[in-house]
Amino acid sequence: MPVKRFGRNYKICRYMDYKKISVLLEKYWEGESTLEEEAALRDFFSTSHPDLPEELLEAAPLFQYFQVEAEKVWEAPPVKVVKLSPWRHWMKYAAVMLVAVGIGYALKQHQQRQQQVLVAMQQEDMNDPQKAFDQTKKALQLLAKNLHKGTAGMQKLSYFNEATAVVEGKED
Amino acid sequence: MSLDRFLTQVVPVRQKLYRFAFRLLGNEEDAQDITQDALMKVWGMQEKMAELQNMEAWCMRITRNLALDKLKSRKYRMSDELDRAGEMPAVHQKSPHAVTEQNDVMEKVHVAINALPEKYRTILQLRDIDGHSYQEIADILDIDMNDVKVNLHRARKTVREKLQNLQVYGL
Repeated sequence: MPVKRFGRNYKICRYMDYKKISVLLEKYWEGESTLEEEAALRDFFSTSHPDLPEELLEAAPLFQYFQVEAEKVWEAPPVKVVKLSPWRHWMKYAAVMLVAVGIGYALKQHQQRQQQVLVAMQQEDMNDPQKAFDQTKKALQLLAKNLHKGTAGMQKLSYFNEATAVVEGKED
Repeated sequence: MSLDRFLTQVVPVRQKLYRFAFRLLGNEEDAQDITQDALMKVWGMQEKMAELQNMEAWCMRITRNLALDKLKSRKYRMSDELDRAGEMPAVHQKSPHAVTEQNDVMEKVHVAINALPEKYRTILQLRDIDGHSYQEIADILDIDMNDVKVNLHRARKTVREKLQNLQVYGL
């Protein structure tokens, strides 16, 4: 009797008694069969047998299907391992740097320009005699006004002095 | 987890993850996307790896959750079953007529299994096609082992009834 080797090192007679297969099948339908018994069933049904009794015939397509599915070769997509360098985002860092430098430069330029404008305006004032005169006049007027405030006070003070002198004279 | 560990323990499982995702989603492109996403997620959760007892089951669980999310979010439709009928390889060299008939029978079984609710279908596939133990299936689906047994029993019963109704018999 030829002997077939199973995947799980399980040897059984190829032409196993149908009776035994029926018993295994009954266990299978009841959910009580072991993995080895299920493998035996699958193996039994993977070859065609003449004159199968009906209870075995009904299970044949199912086990043939399991066999076909189990033998299918699946091509999973290949896995690529990509080494990530710390510089992989160098463009990002470069862009940030560039923007920072750009903003700094623009600010500096702006400040310089403002200063230049101020100096230029002052210089322009000095160059124009009328404007220079107006400016000076304005400044002097401010000074005079403040001085004037002082003289008004002094005036009162001199009246007071005179008055005291008169009073003192009379007393003398 | 070091890169070495990821390459030796997780990456080899991707074939299984892909197959699992493919069965759930029914198309190649999405299965590839989900497999990739699952690997990324596993890599992202590497600190959890140390506590794991069954890493393969954990990876499959992540894949399943991602695939189910995808199915839910897009109100996914399985690709036309008839399109895939031609993909069924012939098991034995038979006459063209017998091969066609064989494919037809296989297709009917395929439809019967795919018509099962997702949980039943996944358990049946993990057990009867992939040969996982009850404990492994329980780990993958994050359910009790008794639930696996009960659901497997129901799944097999349903398929059996369907095939009986369709009068699908072996050749």
